[in-house]
Amino acid sequence: MLRALALVAVSSLLAACGSDQPATTDKPVSGDATAAPRVAVIPKGTTHVFWQAVAAGAKDAGARTGLNVVWKGPLQENDRAQQIQLVQQFVSEGVAGIALAPLDHAALAPVVRSAKNSGIPVVIFDSDLDGTPGVDFASFVATDNRAGGELAGQRLAELVGGKGKVVLLRYQVGSASTEAREAGFLAAAKAAGLEVLVDNRYAGATIGEAKNTALNLADHLQQAHGVFCSNESATAGMLQALDQLGLRGKVRFVGFDSSPPLVDGLRDGGIDALVVQDPRKMGELSVQALADLIAKKPVAPKVDTGAVLATKANMDEPAVKRLLQ
Amino acid sequence: MSGGGGRRSAWRSGGPLLGLGATWLLFAASAGAPFLTWANHELMLLQTAVVGVAAVGATWIIVAGGIDLAVGSTIAVAGMVGALALRSGLSWPAAAAATTLAGSLVGFVIGALVTGALLRVLLAGGAALVAGWLAQTMGALSAGEAGAGGDLVRWVAVAAGVAAALVAWLASARLRWSLPLSPFIVTLGLWGALRGLAKGLGGNQPVYFPRNDDLAALMLPRTALLPIGVWVMIAVAAVAAFVLRRTVFGRHVQAFGQNREAARLSGIEVVGIERRVYAIGGLCAGVAGVLQLSYLSMGDPTTAQGYELKAIAAAVIGGASLAGGTGSILGTLLGALVMTVVDNGCTKLEFDNWVQDVATGAIIVGAVALDRLRQQRAAAR
Repeated sequence: MLRALALVAVSSLLAACGSDQPATTDKPVSGDATAAPRVAVIPKGTTHVFWQAVAAGAKDAGARTGLNVVWKGPLQENDRAQQIQLVQQFVSEGVAGIALAPLDHAALAPVVRSAKNSGIPVVIFDSDLDGTPGVDFASFVATDNRAGGELAGQRLAELVGGKGKVVLLRYQVGSASTEAREAGFLAAAKAAGLEVLVDNRYAGATIGEAKNTALNLADHLQQAHGVFCSNESATAGMLQALDQLGLRGKVRFVGFDSSPPLVDGLRDGGIDALVVQDPRKMGELSVQALADLIAKKPVAPKVDTGAVLATKANMDEPAVKRLLQ
Repeated sequence: MSGGGGRRSAWRSGGPLLGLGATWLLFAASAGAPFLTWANHELMLLQTAVVGVAAVGATWIIVAGGIDLAVGSTIAVAGMVGALALRSGLSWPAAAAATTLAGSLVGFVIGALVTGALLRVLLAGGAALVAGWLAQTMGALSAGEAGAGGDLVRWVAVAAGVAAALVAWLASARLRWSLPLSPFIVTLGLWGALRGLAKGLGGNQPVYFPRNDDLAALMLPRTALLPIGVWVMIAVAAVAAFVLRRTVFGRHVQAFGQNREAARLSGIEVVGIERRVYAIGGLCAGVAGVLQLSYLSMGDPTTAQGYELKAIAAAVIGGASLAGGTGSILGTLLGALVMTVVDNGCTKLEFDNWVQDVATGAIIVGAVALDRLRQQRAAAR
């Protein structure tokens, strides 16, 4: 009785908060989930389009493999402490498996160790974690980010004709995936003979912060021939800043990841190329790996989910279009 | 607890206890067994420790009629100092001491700025920079040929800076010029400035140090024994509550928070009181920084964002009045627990993050509204 009352109270509170649209991303797979093993999939954040694509892939794979996928990210995109809390909580609950995109390669390592010690298989996706895949955690499912960054650097060098000044807007301190892209970009840009004007600015977690950082770089951007940003929010913030500075389309611009404004930018020439990952595949393969682990099947320690260069010319080809959505 | 004894204090924390009970019951009933395990409760206590310790300091400041919006940034700065200490090879207790000291120093500076000692702070800061720079340059010159000792030089420079600041501070003690600033403004400024300092300390990078299991053990579950961090929180709270309630100093702080003019006229040395209160707040933030450092096993310059608001919310749910003069340490811990229970329960119920944000906000306002309603009724009787 009390339980029912409380449920009613909680759900009416929530209904009052906004009943216009049931959120599609954060709910567990419904149906006869009671019997299915629960696995937790923990992204770095929940608001970016990228993570929503991971969620969609994870849920597809969950439905296919008969797992009950719980999707839960930290409230703040960059809150390492809260991500640790989430992992701890799922470990203490005794879920059947955890897939985690660690916000920090060191901070999340101890809690992943403790999950392993409790006998819970952990798949790391998107960003690397200290330790050896296959030993400290079961598998690492991710884009080869360094190769993606190199791809971006080579394309930007082609776009500016092999010489000129470029600006790199980094994403955030301590994020292994974007740091690998940035390193790959710098290596390729320098190998191609480009001069790097700025390589020490960090965009921060949100589009707003990225835009502000980019606007503060206005004088450098005006001198630059090319720009590279290493994730979705940094690319989106930079695009807005270039717009505001009257540089949209004048500076060659290569971004990373995709979202509707970035696709529009690609179409109207504001962005010359986007390196796109396959987040959906990342979610699918992560949950597939968990399913295999739960079924005691062997899993490869490293799984590459691939990166593709999307341009105005190829953006409507089905294979690329899918990754831009 | 306006200068009163334990009975009034216990009465004041009755409201927060009710709030915590109601929140707990709500989630216990709706989330069921996974919420109710001992492991989960241990986890909730553990996850309250950092905010709880910081909130104890915030309660002191709020009781004294002030506010500290820089708590989260202070935790980050203190944690970065500790991480740098560990990276340069110091033992973890030494690093923990450095972390606590860094927090206390920040609190001391806030107190000095609030009580009008802007010029003395600038003098001390200037002296620190000059001395630190000199030591660094000389150290680099002498160590340059050996090509080693970079970390040692840095620590010598820091020590020289701190010593110079102390000398300048003491030497300028007779400076009469005073420009009191509102704590809201001072800590709003430091909220950003300290965050920047935290990033600068690590050269815009997180600071990683060799794995340290002893430090990490502070914030690891120990089943029946409770994590050490939880005991730290309880100890800090017990001392803070005792001093606030049972000592002359504590009574003076309350009197000052209720009516600073009356406190001054009755011969209380108000400047010293206010400075000490902010130093205590900083000390608590420093201890919270140690726990956060242990929890993250790295120095994260972006950590503890928004903890200042969590600390203030915990104090207010716990019965503190932002007008000053009123507040209970026990109530604050209960308030901090309310927020952890909401976080934990929402995850157990698999709520969307946006729902959790809304629910947390609603529960904070609801808990305080209920408490005020209860007080109104009690006062009318």
